[in-house]
Amino acid sequence: MRLTWLLLRRHRLFLGCWLLLLIAMSAGTVTAYQNTYPTGQQRRIAVALAQDNAATTLIYGRLPGPGTPAQMYVWEIGACTTILTAVFAILLTVSLTRAAEDDGTLELLRSCGLTVDQPLYAATGVLTACAGTLAAGCAVVVGVHGGHADGVTWAGSAAYGSVVGLTFLLFAALTMLLAQIAPTAGQARLLAFATMGASFTVRAFADTRPAGWLNWCSPLGLRATVEPFTTDRWTALSAPAAATALAIGAATFVARRREFGAGLLRRRDTRLRRLRIRSTAGLAARLTRASVLTWTTAVATIGTLFAAMGSGAVDQQRDGDIGGFLGAQLGDGEPAAGYLSYCGTVVGIMVCVYAVLSVTASRHAERLGLTDMMLATGARRWAPLASQATVTAAGAAIILAVTAMVTALIAPAVVEGDDITTRALLYTAGQWPAAAAITGCTVLLAGTAPRLTALAWLPLAVSAALALLGDLLEVPPRIQDLGLFGHVPDAAAADSTPVALLVLAGAGALMCLTGLIGMNRRDLVTG
Amino acid sequence: MTGTRHTHEPVIDVRHLVKRFGRFTAVDGLDLQVQPGSVHGFLGPNGAGKTTTIRALLGLYRATAGRIRVLGLDPARHADAVTRQLSYVPGEVTLWPNLTGQEVLDALAGLRGRRDEAAERRLTEAFALDPHRKVRTYSKGNRQKVVLVAAFAAPTDLLILDEPTSGLDPLMEVMFQQCVRDAAAAGRTILLSSHLLAEVEDVCDTVTIIKDGRLVESGRLADMRHLAASTVTARPPAEQFAAVMERLHRLGVAADSDAGVLHMSVPRTTVPAALGLLAEVEADDITCTPARLEDLFLRHYAVAAR
Repeated sequence: MRLTWLLLRRHRLFLGCWLLLLIAMSAGTVTAYQNTYPTGQQRRIAVALAQDNAATTLIYGRLPGPGTPAQMYVWEIGACTTILTAVFAILLTVSLTRAAEDDGTLELLRSCGLTVDQPLYAATGVLTACAGTLAAGCAVVVGVHGGHADGVTWAGSAAYGSVVGLTFLLFAALTMLLAQIAPTAGQARLLAFATMGASFTVRAFADTRPAGWLNWCSPLGLRATVEPFTTDRWTALSAPAAATALAIGAATFVARRREFGAGLLRRRDTRLRRLRIRSTAGLAARLTRASVLTWTTAVATIGTLFAAMGSGAVDQQRDGDIGGFLGAQLGDGEPAAGYLSYCGTVVGIMVCVYAVLSVTASRHAERLGLTDMMLATGARRWAPLASQATVTAAGAAIILAVTAMVTALIAPAVVEGDDITTRALLYTAGQWPAAAAITGCTVLLAGTAPRLTALAWLPLAVSAALALLGDLLEVPPRIQDLGLFGHVPDAAAADSTPVALLVLAGAGALMCLTGLIGMNRRDLVTG
Repeated sequence: MTGTRHTHEPVIDVRHLVKRFGRFTAVDGLDLQVQPGSVHGFLGPNGAGKTTTIRALLGLYRATAGRIRVLGLDPARHADAVTRQLSYVPGEVTLWPNLTGQEVLDALAGLRGRRDEAAERRLTEAFALDPHRKVRTYSKGNRQKVVLVAAFAAPTDLLILDEPTSGLDPLMEVMFQQCVRDAAAAGRTILLSSHLLAEVEDVCDTVTIIKDGRLVESGRLADMRHLAASTVTARPPAEQFAAVMERLHRLGVAADSDAGVLHMSVPRTTVPAALGLLAEVEADDITCTPARLEDLFLRHYAVAAR
């Protein structure tokens, strides 16, 4: 029990932020569906369009009839919430289990008389508490809208909360098992995210083909099997609950049979290769090579998938108003341009996440004393941070270039409209200034106020929220314009001047410069 | 290799160094001079300010007050020029876990732009290091070996070693001492920080002892031994006990008594007079333990937590 408290204490900030984000996301949007379609007639048209649309079905699943605001909410916001819940479960479980083993903190705890199972049981305790909070939180914040949005019932809210909570616990249990198999914490994360990708693919296949039963095989298919606010099929929770128990049991079984600090899979620990570098930039490039490759694969796959799914949405937007979250993304202009712009924003957000993580690695290196080692060889004070910034900007360019090229190849085949290739190319590649700006912002913090580097997530989170939810929540355009995204002009439009992009890139460069000057003037902060 | 610097000028010259972190003063008016070609021990208990001073020497910290010159340059302004000419071994070695030992050696030498591969190979072998394993599989001692090989093999004038042997086994410690002697013989200057006297006693010519960020003692080791006091014990005849105490007191020696036995700490110059007195009164069980540097050192180590 003490260990559970220790874990809670250690991860309280991470836990608190994610729980707040997920519950707040469920809270703010439920009435938006009631307000978007105030009359039954409007809603019936929108529901018919959505049910008939392959693209939205692929992203969100099937919209059950009659399509009350509560059902639309679970269909759209529920899809986003369950995916984010899975991400949260994966990140939290790995840091509770394998990461503590890799960084050496668990070693110390194990030497205090703990059994092999106890750390896993404590982690399970934290994860269960988290799942419970998430389930209760989501159920309550939706349930209170009972009188204000059609179709919202307490039973349905409880079913929805349970779906979110159990999705969390199921991914946590699967990750816990994978964390016993993978050779390192990083690879455990990678395997778990691959599992999440597979779950999404299975769910998308199940919903777009006559293969609905496949939803029973996907951890992301819980919304389709339980159907909150439609049938509230509570029995559908039993199979995933059993799978969760089984995965935890298997994780414990494997944990007893593996070496401390090593998974069932062995890793390659020897290498004869030499390293030919002459500068801190060379070293930074070598150290981030693998991560750029992973990010490029992931972003190009997701970005292309998004662009490819747009055909239905674009056609539908031409015929009438899609409304809701996706409708807000497409805007009032040319539907193909609107959709590709939305895809660009999604890619842009992912690349900015990469940029913040990549620059933050420099701060991590400083804390560990690695920067000391570099500086003690005669490198200039600002060089390690500058190199990391350069490598990050170059990495973002590579990710965007590959994604843009693949998208530009695939999109014209599936999306109907003019200048699809050019638009796909430029809407994606045009995200680079946003990545440069957030890189600059992170460098500024790492250089001048190293302990506050994590604050770089704030402008990114706010910008992402403005770009994705701004129209839905009716935020004035002049405030939306302050965000990092949505500034890429339509390549096919006559007056496409990229002033905002130049401002973003310029601001990025300026912040970088200020950060590097700050770095030159301050003490190195280790520990 | 250092160009314009005058050969007799100290390689490290620190005057009245003060370094504060907020309200905490880590180093308080420290002086430190290291002469060219010498092996200088930098001693002090944990938390005395050794690492802070070293980080200021490398230009990683900016001095709050005072003047620092390393190889004739101010490290706060010319950190790159200073560090290019010195090798550094940190107290706590962290390396890139995904690189192999060899790749770390390549990286450090590549950044410096100068390297002696033959020396590197020789030292890798001498320290019995397998350079093809990834750093994350290395023990603390093996990580230390990677940095020691990089430091000794680099063509530099000055070595700054911050508690470099923590984590090495006794055999490798002997190897380390050999490397220090070889480096000194080759005319390189070495600043060796440690909290263990025994470690520096064998290889250092001069030492600086600091405590609570302040200088306690500095000079040649041979001279310092004279500063230490000898311990004398004796059992004087019971009837003369009070008189002996009185006469010792007049010699400037304070003696404790325990069940008729006197214990006293006698400065080196007073030892003949004190022993003469004890012989004169025909005291029994006279012992005289010569000055031990360890005692001097331990006396300085008695510090309050800060």
